[in-house]
Amino acid sequence: MNDLESTDRQMSEEVKETTYWKSLNELANNKEYQKFAEREFPENATELSDGVSRRGFLRVMGASVALAGLAACRRPVQKILPYSKQPEDVVPGVPLYYATAMPVQGNLVGLIAENHEGRPTKLEGNDMHPASRGGTSIFNQAAILGLYDPDRSRSPLQNGEKATKADFEAFANSHFANTGQRIAFISEANSSPTYNNIKEQALSKFNNATWVTYEPFGEDNVLEGNRIAFGGRLRTHYNFENADVIVSLNDDFMSSTHPNSVEYAKQVSSRRKVTDTDGEMNRIYSVEDSFSLTGSYADHRLRVKASQMEAFTYALAAALSTRVNGLSAFSGYSNEFSDHKWITALADDLAANAGRSALTLGSQHKPEVHAAVAAINNALGNTGSTVHYLEVPHLDEQNSTEAFANVVAEMKAGNIDTVVMVGVNPVFNAPADLDFENALSNVETVVNLSDYVDETSLKSTWHVNRAHFLEAWGDGYSYGGARSVIQPQIRPLHEGLSEIEFLNTIVSGSITAGYDLVRDTFQGYYRSGFDNRWTNILHDGIDTTGNFNEVNVRLTSGFTSAMNRATSNVTSTSGMEVVIRPDATLYDGRYANLGWLQELPDPMTKVTWDNVALMSPATAEKLGIEEASAGQDDYDVVEITVNGKSINIVAWIQPGHVDDAITLTTGYGREGIGRVASSYIDYTAGGVDVYPLRGTDNMLYASASVSKTGDTYEIACVQDHHSLEGRDMYRQASISEYKDNPDFASFASVHIYEVPGMKEAEEMGEDQPISLFDEQTYPDHEPQWGMAIDLNSCFGCGVCVIACQSENNIPVIGKKEVKSGREMHWIRNDRYYVGDDPDSPQAVHQPVPCMHCELAPCEQVCPVAATTHSDDGMNQMTYNRCIGTRYCANNCPYKVRRFNFFNYPKEYLTTGDDPDIIQMAMNPEVTVRFRGVMEKCTYCAQRVNRAKIEAKNKTGSPKPADGAVKTACQQACPADAIYFGDLTDDNSEVAKMKRNERNFQMLEELNTRPRTSYMAKLTNPNPALA
Amino acid sequence: MSKYQYVPEPALVKGDHDFSSLTRLITDINLRPTPKAWYLCMIAANGLLFVMVAAIGYLIWEGTGIWGLNNPVGWGWAIINFVWWVGIGHAGTLISAILFLFRQDWRTAINRFAEAMTIFAVMCAGVFPAIHVGRIWVIYWVFPVPNSMAMWPNFNSPLLWDVFAVSTYFTVSLLFWYVGLVPDLATIRDRATDKIRKVVYGIFSLGWTGSNRHWWNYEKAYMILAGLATPLVLSVHTIVSFDFAVSMIPGWHTTIFPPYFVAGAIFSGFAMVLTLMIVARKIYGMKDIMTDDHMEKMNIVILVTGSMVGFAYMMEFFIAWYSGVEYEKAIFILRATGPYAWAYWAMMTCNVLSPQFFWSKKLRRSVGFTFFISIVVNIGMWFERFVITVTSLANDYLPSSWDYYSPTIWDVLTYVGTFGLFFTMFLLFLRFLPMVALAEIKAVIPLADPHNYDEETKEFEAPKVEVPKPQAEKV
Repeated sequence: MNDLESTDRQMSEEVKETTYWKSLNELANNKEYQKFAEREFPENATELSDGVSRRGFLRVMGASVALAGLAACRRPVQKILPYSKQPEDVVPGVPLYYATAMPVQGNLVGLIAENHEGRPTKLEGNDMHPASRGGTSIFNQAAILGLYDPDRSRSPLQNGEKATKADFEAFANSHFANTGQRIAFISEANSSPTYNNIKEQALSKFNNATWVTYEPFGEDNVLEGNRIAFGGRLRTHYNFENADVIVSLNDDFMSSTHPNSVEYAKQVSSRRKVTDTDGEMNRIYSVEDSFSLTGSYADHRLRVKASQMEAFTYALAAALSTRVNGLSAFSGYSNEFSDHKWITALADDLAANAGRSALTLGSQHKPEVHAAVAAINNALGNTGSTVHYLEVPHLDEQNSTEAFANVVAEMKAGNIDTVVMVGVNPVFNAPADLDFENALSNVETVVNLSDYVDETSLKSTWHVNRAHFLEAWGDGYSYGGARSVIQPQIRPLHEGLSEIEFLNTIVSGSITAGYDLVRDTFQGYYRSGFDNRWTNILHDGIDTTGNFNEVNVRLTSGFTSAMNRATSNVTSTSGMEVVIRPDATLYDGRYANLGWLQELPDPMTKVTWDNVALMSPATAEKLGIEEASAGQDDYDVVEITVNGKSINIVAWIQPGHVDDAITLTTGYGREGIGRVASSYIDYTAGGVDVYPLRGTDNMLYASASVSKTGDTYEIACVQDHHSLEGRDMYRQASISEYKDNPDFASFASVHIYEVPGMKEAEEMGEDQPISLFDEQTYPDHEPQWGMAIDLNSCFGCGVCVIACQSENNIPVIGKKEVKSGREMHWIRNDRYYVGDDPDSPQAVHQPVPCMHCELAPCEQVCPVAATTHSDDGMNQMTYNRCIGTRYCANNCPYKVRRFNFFNYPKEYLTTGDDPDIIQMAMNPEVTVRFRGVMEKCTYCAQRVNRAKIEAKNKTGSPKPADGAVKTACQQACPADAIYFGDLTDDNSEVAKMKRNERNFQMLEELNTRPRTSYMAKLTNPNPALA
Repeated sequence: MSKYQYVPEPALVKGDHDFSSLTRLITDINLRPTPKAWYLCMIAANGLLFVMVAAIGYLIWEGTGIWGLNNPVGWGWAIINFVWWVGIGHAGTLISAILFLFRQDWRTAINRFAEAMTIFAVMCAGVFPAIHVGRIWVIYWVFPVPNSMAMWPNFNSPLLWDVFAVSTYFTVSLLFWYVGLVPDLATIRDRATDKIRKVVYGIFSLGWTGSNRHWWNYEKAYMILAGLATPLVLSVHTIVSFDFAVSMIPGWHTTIFPPYFVAGAIFSGFAMVLTLMIVARKIYGMKDIMTDDHMEKMNIVILVTGSMVGFAYMMEFFIAWYSGVEYEKAIFILRATGPYAWAYWAMMTCNVLSPQFFWSKKLRRSVGFTFFISIVVNIGMWFERFVITVTSLANDYLPSSWDYYSPTIWDVLTYVGTFGLFFTMFLLFLRFLPMVALAEIKAVIPLADPHNYDEETKEFEAPKVEVPKPQAEKV
């Protein structure tokens, strides 16, 4: 509170022309208000004057709540425009929506921010933005928590001492007056045209400056590969909507770790929306070492070591060279994979679908392999149809990885005077052999802009706190080249600088508002009619012009010789290899302090709060690692040594992992950046930093020696049991089976017999088994809500979990509580391994929210009637009435109810030195639950009711139009797997889905009549591989 | 001599006791100065009681999370302990009410004792449902109290039935116990020499004079309460079993639960009475009243109910297989072979195997062995409740939700602490109230039979019955 007050005061002094509608210090200094706050009733209308009466207590509480609320009124200074719903004025309680965009590795994803009284509370995908199309990734959803993270850096630091923005401005003005000094700029990937304009200015102003881009998992190898193949550093942009056959070579392009995952997931899943037996779907092959989301979504999956992917790709190219033209560089080539049945099957299928197929390769594989993949796609005629090559103006013309290594070498040699780092954290994540930290110590002045006081900030002369993208103006391009403006939703909470403001300060010596910088850039694009265009761009969140140029590519003359060199020089590791990947929930570590992501179970392992060393059952057996038993929390630790450097990390058995390989994920093992990322005081958590094993020559994989240490470590995994035990919760069939027997998913098909009680019901003229309890099926009331989840679309990314957490104020409970089995997520993603082969099973994902049973077992057993049915068919929880017997949770066959074992929100929302900040992330439309009450999915009742009120105001009927209500999980889903709507409307999407033959109810035989149902999964196997 | 000889039942009270020696034997315990050993026991019991209070205090302060519960397993030790204590509380009312109606005079030696145990066990049991809820401060919402929310409790919920069943059982048991105490309290009042005792016992003996009118009222009241209590013996555990049987969790949703719970309750209740009786009769020299014959009879009850419970276990397995419900089949296989197999086999050993030793008369009459088995049985019954409560929840329908439950130190301390409550109450009972139903036991000694008692030999003589000689069969 005090911090906020002082910053606020400081702010209003700085920005005199600003008008707040109410500022905190106005209130705080206002005697009358203070008096008013203290005294609810006029003087003399007073109550008993005992110490702290109940009324007195409430008064004090009321005042502090009011203050907290007003502290949140930080409206942006510049004019931004609402996206689609514009009330006449700000109506308290009615949210406003503005378009903005989130940069992830420099690529923008268009978002819509929901604002309550001047503070953003929820991010959703922007339907109009091609990289979102309404969907989001987990990182997009969690960004709102990043904004309100109390551990973000609060002020600039000079040699670790607190400084002000003005101090930094003065420093920049004097220090960078010397334009001859040797400066190295190390920047994260950034597509902003404004940023790149300032970059040009910087490079021209400082004669001895070098500029390198460093991303731990950048796209450099792809660009280099395309340079080998086509002569230019081009970005490969797929359009899977046109692809009938997709082959992923170790490329997890659907999971959030891919910079364009949302668009790709939308595209791939759109080709698997089979609504009737005439439907067709794409076929996905995945060749990979570790089990990825894309691999689990694929129709066929082959385990191949990362180091053998090169040989596999060349073998495939060689096989294709006999079938299509344009791969002569590979003709006659053969290796150990050439006789593999997969090579023949893939080559046949790809050749048969020439022009309608797509081959992708993981971004960290060698450039030569990317060149081969590019050549294959080109030879298949996919270029222009499923694969596009884009000229991306902001990308470096040089090989960034090499350039970065060169700069570090220069730093080490003492040839650099000043290093300016924008958004990067190389002390933590640079390749270990570069020894960046040591190199940095040879540099006199180090300036760093970052969100947190991170490992690099601590080694910097100047650290500047960075403004969040929701706090500052910005611009940029999506992965596919759509240009957007990033609109701030709130004034910088900690007065941070955006990267353009920061860089501009260095170049110009004074701080210029980001708004002016971005506006200037766009004024450069549109000389005439600028104001209208600007308004439209802000409103829509997308600029329809100025996309990247698509290049018509042709193989270079040197391609054949480059490939001949590559094929004659194929290396792979023999023995054990270690593969380092970005983590599915923390990425490269930049999201490590976001509790939602730390607590989001890894989509495949279901491990929270830690990273683990993934290995196949066979490898584990070889290392003497035992299978986990029920109730086990302690897991064996292994020591992994690569090039003389070793780490100790928990071994985790991952069915479907390739043998003799271990996969590690980055982002864990942070120290000191915040409460969430760092280890608990008395509890080990936070995982292990694996960057020490990563060097410039083994960015993806390296041979390693691994041994069991004998130590154990506790892991919080939310799913102990991985087999369906032959049960029918998950139903699937191949598409040809579906065509033969459209009713394959019905209870009778699965079990041979009818649902128990059905025969008797039919005799009585009922269409459902009878019940002892009040039947609440379709009373006269309309609408009636229901949900259908298409298992054929879901690929398990977990964004529904984060979206729900954000929408419904679900607390983060910490590793210890998760380990105790008390996770609070209202929707969870069950992952089962299917198949007889434990080495190479199929993995399936099933999101499970509350089923909103019409005959809800929870309602029948609650002794105080705290959970009841609403007229519109929702099973509702009355928190006020709940006494917490947990009987409802026990009696729920789907186990979707969540109990507040402790006062979780208290810990989450009131600890730390500035709890007000994190409270601002809460959705004011949803109650924060107290300890001792049960909670669960509400079908986003607040959204439903808002839509009903709006519909009633407009039409007089409380039936919103189909699609007017989207639950948070549905809205966020990049695969459009969730359908929600009114079941009494025959034309609603959800009603159509429920009429589909693939629709089935989980545990139908219990006669709970769930309103949430599932659509059985379909697969499209290749008969040649069956 | 007759071929047929009258074999009298063995005397229920051994030794050379007349009315006044019995009075002295029993009421002297209450009237003589408090022995030091009692204080020592009381300190120990109070220590445990304090542990319970502290554990509950911490629970209220911190939240249900201090226990080992998790997402699938919403009920753990608290509910296990509740069912276990309620089960133990079955013996008292069974002995005093049902055996009274069946004219089983041997009950008089142990009924007071067993009823006291019942009441204290139900008190211990009652602690758990009250504290296991998340918001203890609004626990009164389970009662149908008119309120500003205009809300009734949900009469569909077995937990609500529980509230009524247990509170009714407790009330009736308490009344029954008290009514039986009235003549004995008057005896102590009459024998007491100090003022305080005279007044206090005087108040509680309700002006008992032993008049014919009083006895007439007393007998009627006792009979009516016995009649009322009898169905309660069956109903309370039936309803407790409904907490499980009415839900839809595999392993809970079975119709066998009510009889099986009642049998198990009697089984454990008798075991607990034996445990306490064997200790008390040793300390207080009550071997003449609580004889080996009593022990043997109770051991037979244990053998019968233990076998019933064992039969129920097997029946559950059979029905799970016969029903064809895959979840039901799975849970029973998992109980025997899954992560909680250790608990299952502990239960089977203690409950089914151990009472079978009582087929041997020698073992039935062995004090040490009986004491051992009585404890084993109660351990077994605790495990039975553990197996039912935890395994079904831990491994229900969706394998993704399966989780393992382990208790925390607070679960253990709360449970152990209830023994503090139990023994505190029990020690107070032993100290201040007659532990044997004096008025009733006097009625069953030979002396009370005015017809067949030889004043001189002080022996019971069998009535001499003339038996006609059997006539030779006519050919």
